[in-house]
Amino acid sequence: MSLSLVNAELFKVRTTSIWWVLGIVLVPLYAASVLVNWAQFAAGQPDEGLSDTQSAQIEAALEPVNVATTLYTSGQFFGVLIVVLLGAIIVTSEFFHLTATTTFLTTPRRESVILAKFGAAVVIGLLVWLITTVLNLIVVPLIMNQLDVPAQLGTAAVWRAIGLNALAFGLWAILGVGVGVLIRSQIAATLVLAITYVVGTQAIGLIFFLLSEWVAEWFNKLQVIVPTTASQLMISGTELPGNPPRWVGAAVLIGYAAVTGVLGTLITKRRDIS
Amino acid sequence: MSTDEIVVEHLTKQYKRLRAVDDLSFSVRAGRVTGFLGPNGAGKTTTLRMLLGLVTPTAGQATFGGTRYAELADPIKHVGAVLEASSAHRGRTGRNHLRMICRAAGLPDSRADEVLTIVGLTPAANRKFKGYSLGMRQRLGIAAALLGDPRVLILDEPANGLDPEGIRWMRDLLKALAAEGRTVLVSSHLLGEMQLLADDVVIVAAGKLIRQGPVDDVLGTMGTGAHVRVRTPQPAELKAALSELNATATEQTDGSLMVVGAEAAAIGHAAFAASVELHELATERGDLEQVFLQLTAGKAGIR
Repeated sequence: MSLSLVNAELFKVRTTSIWWVLGIVLVPLYAASVLVNWAQFAAGQPDEGLSDTQSAQIEAALEPVNVATTLYTSGQFFGVLIVVLLGAIIVTSEFFHLTATTTFLTTPRRESVILAKFGAAVVIGLLVWLITTVLNLIVVPLIMNQLDVPAQLGTAAVWRAIGLNALAFGLWAILGVGVGVLIRSQIAATLVLAITYVVGTQAIGLIFFLLSEWVAEWFNKLQVIVPTTASQLMISGTELPGNPPRWVGAAVLIGYAAVTGVLGTLITKRRDIS
Repeated sequence: MSTDEIVVEHLTKQYKRLRAVDDLSFSVRAGRVTGFLGPNGAGKTTTLRMLLGLVTPTAGQATFGGTRYAELADPIKHVGAVLEASSAHRGRTGRNHLRMICRAAGLPDSRADEVLTIVGLTPAANRKFKGYSLGMRQRLGIAAALLGDPRVLILDEPANGLDPEGIRWMRDLLKALAAEGRTVLVSSHLLGEMQLLADDVVIVAAGKLIRQGPVDDVLGTMGTGAHVRVRTPQPAELKAALSELNATATEQTDGSLMVVGAEAAAIGHAAFAASVELHELATERGDLEQVFLQLTAGKAGIR
């Protein structure tokens, strides 16, 4: 991967309005995430009438270390959404604005261009991670104090969750670029990604729930193949009861990123640009 | 073979139902402006895109002296191309569009300002592309093509959207670039403009080569080469005088005579010697438009 090409790709993002438009969208979404997480832990103990696994999960989630990992990774859901959209737009805007011709004339080795786009998207993903993490490190100790939970900034699990959160941002960025190559239409790519990401997670979750209720219990364990579930699993503080281990979440995300990345590069190499 | 020369050999592009380019072969020499002519849908743009590695040929190849575009060591520094007037991001300024290319190609940012000066866009450098007129967009495209100071220039319909002043500017620019020994290939269907600009022509229709060669040769073989227009109140006497020069004079609908086979000076001398009164004596070049329409007759339809 050529660094000058990554630099050129970042320059492209920087010289249009897309970065600050998405940045402005992210601010209220981040604030809402922090507030929702706060409210969730402030509400306290689980309701009656849940299954054993569910109440065990909720109890585990309320352990101080898991409260900490959740709060310190606040903004992941929407931050990743923004990153994945930007990753797709880095590719689709080339076709939307007919700049693909100029890009591929300047760099005829197309795999280099796509690799540079992966690189640029990862840089942007890590930047969003860095911003949300810094904000979390400022805001979360205050919330923890209010919740009467120690700040736990010395706990290894907290820093591991923050680190794995960075991995999640990077992998989702690659996934976004891959989807952008596969769905070349700007409107289609962003709509499909946003809807699948926001609604799809719930819908697929419901399907898995029904399958596990009516067909077989082990279907529930397959939920981890949903990319959003995988990235949430990755950043949990302890192993949650009834869930696969964290590395499975990472493996699933790496799998998606690799498949869309390789497929996207191969397709771009073959496709006629007109 | 020099990589300044464009060589197209048996180039074919088959789309699902359409053979856009059909076994096309021609070559383009350095130091001359070559007009790439053909009716709409003749396959000109597809040919240029295959030459530039954007579209994969079904068969054959288009190279720079045997080297494919993607295999050139420094493509932007060897070949400059203008393909679409609208190929820049609407929200990006002209200067940033050029800098973006500089960064990807490893050129200094200052090169962007240099080419902006060459094409006269400096006053609009910080304006966003969406505010550019069609003529300004063409100039930006030409600026991008000049960034790498290339040996070969390829322009697809560059005159589209330019005003008369802009067309003249571009004609002078391209002629100057060719005079420096560069290869200049310009596609167009503006034949009047091409006749003023091109040294050589490649004429295609329905994806096939119709004719290639220097403009004067192509015009000559079609019987509309250089001729002399003569107006006289004594046509019979003049014809008799000209027959001794082995020149033929044919009456035109407007009453003038079209003389082929003799220079204007020889005709004037013959008329003077025979005491024939002349009202007009002018050398005319052949008409590329007429030749083009004859050559592409019946092949210009929508395919």
